[in-house]
Amino acid sequence: MKHHIDINARFGSLKLDVQVAFNHELIVISGENGAGKTSLLRSLAGLKKVDGSIQINQQLWLDSAASFLLPTEQRKLGFVWAGANLLPWLNVKQNLTLGGRKYEYFESILEDLALISLLERQPSMLSTGEAQRVALARAMYAKPSLLLLDEPFSAQAPDMRHRLREVLKTWQEKHQIPVLLVSHDVEDAKVLAQQHWYMREGKLLKTITQKYMDKVKTND
Amino acid sequence: MIDSLIISFQLSLMTTVILMFVALPVAYILAFKNFKGRTSLEVLVALPLVLPPTVLGYYVLLLIQPHAWLGQTWQSFFDSSLAFSFSGMVLASVLYSLPFAVQPMQQAFRAVPRAWLELAKIQGMNLKQTFRHVLLPASKGGIWVAVALSFAHTMGEFGVVLMVGGSMPGETKVASIELFEMVEMQQQSDASILALILLAISFVLLSLVYSVNRRSSWVSS
Repeated sequence: MKHHIDINARFGSLKLDVQVAFNHELIVISGENGAGKTSLLRSLAGLKKVDGSIQINQQLWLDSAASFLLPTEQRKLGFVWAGANLLPWLNVKQNLTLGGRKYEYFESILEDLALISLLERQPSMLSTGEAQRVALARAMYAKPSLLLLDEPFSAQAPDMRHRLREVLKTWQEKHQIPVLLVSHDVEDAKVLAQQHWYMREGKLLKTITQKYMDKVKTND
Repeated sequence: MIDSLIISFQLSLMTTVILMFVALPVAYILAFKNFKGRTSLEVLVALPLVLPPTVLGYYVLLLIQPHAWLGQTWQSFFDSSLAFSFSGMVLASVLYSLPFAVQPMQQAFRAVPRAWLELAKIQGMNLKQTFRHVLLPASKGGIWVAVALSFAHTMGEFGVVLMVGGSMPGETKVASIELFEMVEMQQQSDASILALILLAISFVLLSLVYSVNRRSSWVSS
């Protein structure tokens, strides 16, 4: 296994306690509201303070026993929030290139996410779905070490959802980047998940692997 | 009258420019950092709001007179006295107007949505980039308010500049002091003109502040 997470923390009434290892996989995380899905993503991003250890690609991000913490800005992350989180004074292109990251495959991602015609627009002139796709493109094109997606398709029409799933799947297979995708949509898990984590009360209740899911699919 | 107005303008301009550099880090620290002595720093910054200007002027004067350390250092570098000089007035004004620069900036920084600052981190920005690309543009309104208030407040100084500058015509006599002297010498028509000019300046600057405040809220838009 290439990536290891062993973290625990208390956020109000939620006690987050997650031990898991995974490879360069597309992992769908589901669970009830308040189960700690978003908290898990934010903890991995370093936006929430947790104890334990995180290791991604042989790089240590957190080792609280040794008081080591790699700051968020050095983790080379992609993160799509539940809201699109665009800066309103920048147009789409400026929002995409925020922070001056090096990019490859920029054009193809823009095309895949149907953003080419929107580059000069201000965020206030975008629909919620368009803004969400901008945020997705921003997280994807820089080839992050880890891609964290919190309900990234929530504002999309069914057709677009279908398309985005395909784009994400192809992108992940091509670049071999671990993806954690929080979603309530069973279709996301069905189509995308190489692993499916179910969370309850801050814990990973079960992890379902590819093999098991293949079995489920063949039984369908 | 023109002389004193020009000096007032120069003093306000210099003070405002310096204040922007001084107030920025202070406002940042007060908005985002928790540390020992935070309250003391906050009180220190706010002190000029309640302190009688003559008291502030008195202490600045103690600090800059020729045999005090700051006055002495200045003297050895520039070969001129800091006390009763324009530069001395600038120093005093920076202290006097500090809260008017820091507080609007601090409030503006605090009002920046947390998610935008987190985005900056996710995008791998360091502190300098975060300031340039997120924090400053997001708090543009508050910064303009700080500029306008610092300028207007320095224009309106009286006690501090009188103590530190000594009202020397053509050098340290600012408009507000000249107005006082005009009234004292019963030059009613000059006094009324100068008063009207100062009133107009303050009115315009405050109008700017309020219109900027109304227009520049990213959060609500």
